[in-house]
Amino acid sequence: MSHAIRADKFLLDADRTTWHDETLWFVREKRDRAVYAVPEFQELRELASGIKNHTLSRLDLYLQEFEAAAKANGVHVHWAADAAEHNAIILDITRKAGATRIVKSKSMLTEECHLNPFLIQHGIEVVDTDLGERIIQFRDEPPSHIVLPAIHLKKEDVGDTFHTHLGTDKGENDPQRLTEAARQHLRAKFLAGEVAISGVNFAIAETGAVVVCTNEGNADLGVNLARVHIAAMGIEKIIPRLSDLGVFTRLLARSATGQPVTTYTSHFAKPAPGKEMHIVIVDNGRTQQLGRPDFRASLKCIRCGACMNTCPVYRRSGGHSYDFTVPGPIGAILSPNIDMKKHSSLPFASTLCGSCTDVCPVKIDIHTQLYKWRQVLGEANEIPASKKWGMKFMGRVLASTRVYGLGGQFARKALRLLPHGLTHAPSMNAWAVARELPEAPKQSFREWYAKQPAPAAPSKTSA
Amino acid sequence: MSLTSRERILAAAKANKPEELPLPTVPDFGGEATVERFTTVLTGIGGTVVRMGGLQELGETLQQLFPEARNVASPLFRGTVPVNRETPTGILAEIDLAVLPGEIGVAENGCVWLPEANMLHRALPTITQHLALVLDQRQIVATMHQAYAQLPHTGGYGKFVAGPSKTADIEQSLVIGAHGARSLVVVLY
Ligand code: SF4
Repeated sequence: MSHAIRADKFLLDADRTTWHDETLWFVREKRDRAVYAVPEFQELRELASGIKNHTLSRLDLYLQEFEAAAKANGVHVHWAADAAEHNAIILDITRKAGATRIVKSKSMLTEECHLNPFLIQHGIEVVDTDLGERIIQFRDEPPSHIVLPAIHLKKEDVGDTFHTHLGTDKGENDPQRLTEAARQHLRAKFLAGEVAISGVNFAIAETGAVVVCTNEGNADLGVNLARVHIAAMGIEKIIPRLSDLGVFTRLLARSATGQPVTTYTSHFAKPAPGKEMHIVIVDNGRTQQLGRPDFRASLKCIRCGACMNTCPVYRRSGGHSYDFTVPGPIGAILSPNIDMKKHSSLPFASTLCGSCTDVCPVKIDIHTQLYKWRQVLGEANEIPASKKWGMKFMGRVLASTRVYGLGGQFARKALRLLPHGLTHAPSMNAWAVARELPEAPKQSFREWYAKQPAPAAPSKTSA
Repeated sequence: MSLTSRERILAAAKANKPEELPLPTVPDFGGEATVERFTTVLTGIGGTVVRMGGLQELGETLQQLFPEARNVASPLFRGTVPVNRETPTGILAEIDLAVLPGEIGVAENGCVWLPEANMLHRALPTITQHLALVLDQRQIVATMHQAYAQLPHTGGYGKFVAGPSKTADIEQSLVIGAHGARSLVVVLY
């Protein structure tokens, strides 16, 4: 099913679409204010981009440096080539720990690997502890945004969900009281958690530590109460030095939510005495992306979500319309790498306005990559037939002055004469489904120009 | 897990990586390392800043700030609950107030560096209902660059704390007090 068809479903509720659009734009505006408050913000973006480019150019070496440092810290390091191996490793660690209850803090990687259903299938209880994640876990939905997983839901939706699952009063919609109910519910889970899984925002090659950024403190609470900590990281999370973190921590939260920094920026290097710490380093298609020069820059992504908040298509189509773990502009670059056929419509879910590229804190050329994917998909024959023939036809028309002139004449007539029902038939003109066609002028610019008196030659003195 | 995955990933990374690019040097951007800036920013993100004349005033300051706290844990004075690495979860969960020494404050974002050695128990700063961080005002720096420059390493565990635990996951309404401490006071001396 294409992005456009799934987006149609989201658009059925016009009020909700408008609200979604406005809510994300509000976040984008907060981002702008936070960014303008830092005079060297553009320099920081350049540095972040440079550090990430450098790291990718020595990725194998930094991964080994990181592994050695982590092992020296007493951490168990595991390597997973794909999602299945990642899941198997985590199940194995959990079983060896004799545990049946896992508390998890936010991690897009475990989402990408579909870890939760896998563990549940094997009789393990997994509780997502980030509030947004918990809400969608109750509702059995995937996250619709990488930073704001439940951004598609209104407080009434959350109220209903909590009424069903946590027994809050029917009609209770107050965010403060709903959050308090979740706090009490999740505290019980934290206290009973045996294994804690966290994501990784940054992994420092120099020290072997992983850094986790949250506002709620759920990673800290989960990890520090459980016996076993498992941190799951993609290979691209590496940065060389502790000092590089200064750059990224200044960019991440400001770009994500407009905060000066996340409430907790936690560095986990060694297990507490008597406890265990594991790091699972995951590839799952990333080395392949590294080998595609046009698309490797997508591995620099620090998952701030700024490109989503600013994207006019994402804001109006909702995260679920992308049907991929990472939605929005960056997801549209990452997804065809994983499955070109399934995600062939995503690089077209963009106006190519470039707003994503403008806000990206690590300077990924997002809109250029979207454009390049379109060409790759075209060559691989993964473009929908209607689009492909339309493009071919337009290509011919635009290649010949004569055909273009005739076509223009014909269109100007046809638009005036043909009945609305035909020019707006959804099967023939998807563009006009929600738009009016412009009124056709009587003559073309070329015709008008031909009738104008020749302009006087510019005099030399005025030059 | 298996040696082969490790080798395969490293080999693929090596084969597919681009030509080596230089690692940029991160400059010290300077900036404003003042108590005023720190206070404004931390207040803006839901924290509180209180100033006192010296450490000897700590007891009195806390008394005024938290008259109702019963279970108090701190390495700075004898609290009502002794906490160490082995303290059971059940006891930690009952703590109303933790008073911990912070090491570095960052003016540009209001965060305070809290190393493991200052926490009594790793879970204490988040499991406590309220958190007070005591900080020498001379330890305020301008930016994260300066903060990291002062940290030779981050130890086994350590974190920057910027304000109370919060969330905006329900319709973007800011709610203070998600899972961790419901309030954060930085006591400057
Ligand atoms: S691509 Fe850039 S803007 Fe988008 S999530 Fe990644 S880092 Fe943020």
